[in-house]
Amino acid sequence: MQIIISNSSKEPIYEQITNQIKSSILAGELQEGTAIPSMRNLAKDLQISVITTKRAYEELEKAGFIYSIVGKGSFVAEQNLEVIREKKLKVIEEQLSAVITNSREIGLSLDELQQLLKILYEE
Amino acid sequence: MENVVELKNVTKKFKDFSVENIDLQVKQGFVTGFIGANGAGKSTTIKMMMNLLKPDAGEVKLFGLDYKTHEKAIKERIGFVYDGNVFFEGLNLKDIKRIVAPAYKHWDDTLFFQYIEQFELPLNKAIKTFSKGMQMKASLAIALSHHAELIIMDEPTAGLDPIFRRELLALLQELMVDGNRTIFFSTHITTDLDRIADYIALMQSGELVLNKSIHDVAEDYALVKGGMDLLDRDTEKDFVHIHRASTGFEALTNNIKAVKNTFGDTVVIERASLEDIMYYLKGGIHHV
Amino acid sequence: MFNLIRRDVILQKRQLLIFIPTILSFIILDKHHPAFIFIIASIIIPFSTYAYDEKAETNILLNSLPYTRTEIIASRYLGAIVYMVLAIVVTSLALFAFNKPFAMTDIAIASGLFLLFAAFTFPLFYIIKPGYFFMAVLITFFLLAGIGPAIVLFLAEHLAAITNFITNLSVPTLYTGAALVVIGVYVISWGISTVIYHRKAF
Repeated sequence: MQIIISNSSKEPIYEQITNQIKSSILAGELQEGTAIPSMRNLAKDLQISVITTKRAYEELEKAGFIYSIVGKGSFVAEQNLEVIREKKLKVIEEQLSAVITNSREIGLSLDELQQLLKILYEE
Repeated sequence: MENVVELKNVTKKFKDFSVENIDLQVKQGFVTGFIGANGAGKSTTIKMMMNLLKPDAGEVKLFGLDYKTHEKAIKERIGFVYDGNVFFEGLNLKDIKRIVAPAYKHWDDTLFFQYIEQFELPLNKAIKTFSKGMQMKASLAIALSHHAELIIMDEPTAGLDPIFRRELLALLQELMVDGNRTIFFSTHITTDLDRIADYIALMQSGELVLNKSIHDVAEDYALVKGGMDLLDRDTEKDFVHIHRASTGFEALTNNIKAVKNTFGDTVVIERASLEDIMYYLKGGIHHV
Repeated sequence: MFNLIRRDVILQKRQLLIFIPTILSFIILDKHHPAFIFIIASIIIPFSTYAYDEKAETNILLNSLPYTRTEIIASRYLGAIVYMVLAIVVTSLALFAFNKPFAMTDIAIASGLFLLFAAFTFPLFYIIKPGYFFMAVLITFFLLAGIGPAIVLFLAEHLAAITNFITNLSVPTLYTGAALVVIGVYVISWGISTVIYHRKAF
């Protein structure tokens, strides 16, 4: 499981971990049922404090991405990808609506908007 | 989660210095960093934890036990590493082991020799011939060879080079992996703790001014920088201490939320390192 | 606690090697009363340990290890007796080997004097600042050696009653009495040292 943390980022370290594990799970890199390192081993590998990894795992557990069994470790939880996809689509719709409103305000045409989208997507 | 060490309202007075009303808990399974300037009272507090000094008032409990009735039981479970060598300097490690090992019920020779090998320490040379780093490693090897649950280290990295300090920290992290050990580590080199400490206790002039998990510290404390024009009697209240300069001010806040409310985007808010916190809590630069 | 006593030997391995030739040279010179040799032999180990213990770190070490303060003091007092016995045995063998005569009374007097001396000096160690201990021991030694006989003579002249009483005692009773006094003083000294040590800050 690859996790790279940045000390200079504004994002707290535990959030970086949570987000990276979340992405891996959603992208299918971490399959359901896979064991992830214990919080102590992760702390040792990343050279950070145990309490940080503990917090990250607690957040992941709360959000339903992983579950822990005392004495055995932590595992990737079953993800209902459909439901997650639905949720994300909704968020994208809302964000796009806001983009469209803003574009109309300054008179940006649909073509110009699509151009902008293409450039940014390929960045 | 049990408290391996509990100090309740502990006070110790000396002629020109005192440690007052210390309420300190060291949580099991985690690394607690004990920071403070030289002379802040860290060593005094640690000596009281080790029963080298008895408090004038208050209660000291380790593993839930009292020194008055369970002195040996407590000390069996502690591994200690002090600043400087406390072992007979004219002896070599073999002889020191012969003196120290029988004191402990759970001494493990195999473990001891494993560490000696890992740390590359000579068994037949007198300890006084060891470099400072080697002396510390020797103390650590002994401290780790009797299955101690609590490891107390008093300024173990003082005078050691940065590379060695990093190696030591990596070693300590290895030790924490099984979750059975607790480490209490006092130092005035805060960068040592920025990474691996789970909890921080800060001593200043004989008082414990901070005792929190690093998350709480990160969520409460931050450095705030902005223009001098932003400061007035009201806004100053959000800060612990302010450093003013012609280019602007830099201050420490212990309430990030309030600062965000008051100032919004007009200030730069940055993570405060332990060193920043120590410095500002002390009151910054004293008027020279 | 046996280990605490044992540590003296481990600590002083090299010094012991010098110890034996020194004793032998005393014996060969033949100028000294055997009792004197016994005393010197007994003093060496217990008192040199104190030289080591003068270092602050030793107390920090001993008190960080799982020993109680009572045990640490006990190991000094019991250790002194153990080493005294060992020294006497070794010295006796040496004297025997060199065909120098000695009597049980020599051993008795030597051990009595040694224990008295130890009883007076051990507590001093826990009171006096490190570094001054050696001075204190020397001073005590000269005081006892110098004033001791003077006191005895004083008592003899002015307290005839006591002197008569003592000279009228049979030898065994005299020795038993003396032994009890010495043991009593030793035990009191042990108690005092323990109390002082319990109060010490390191």
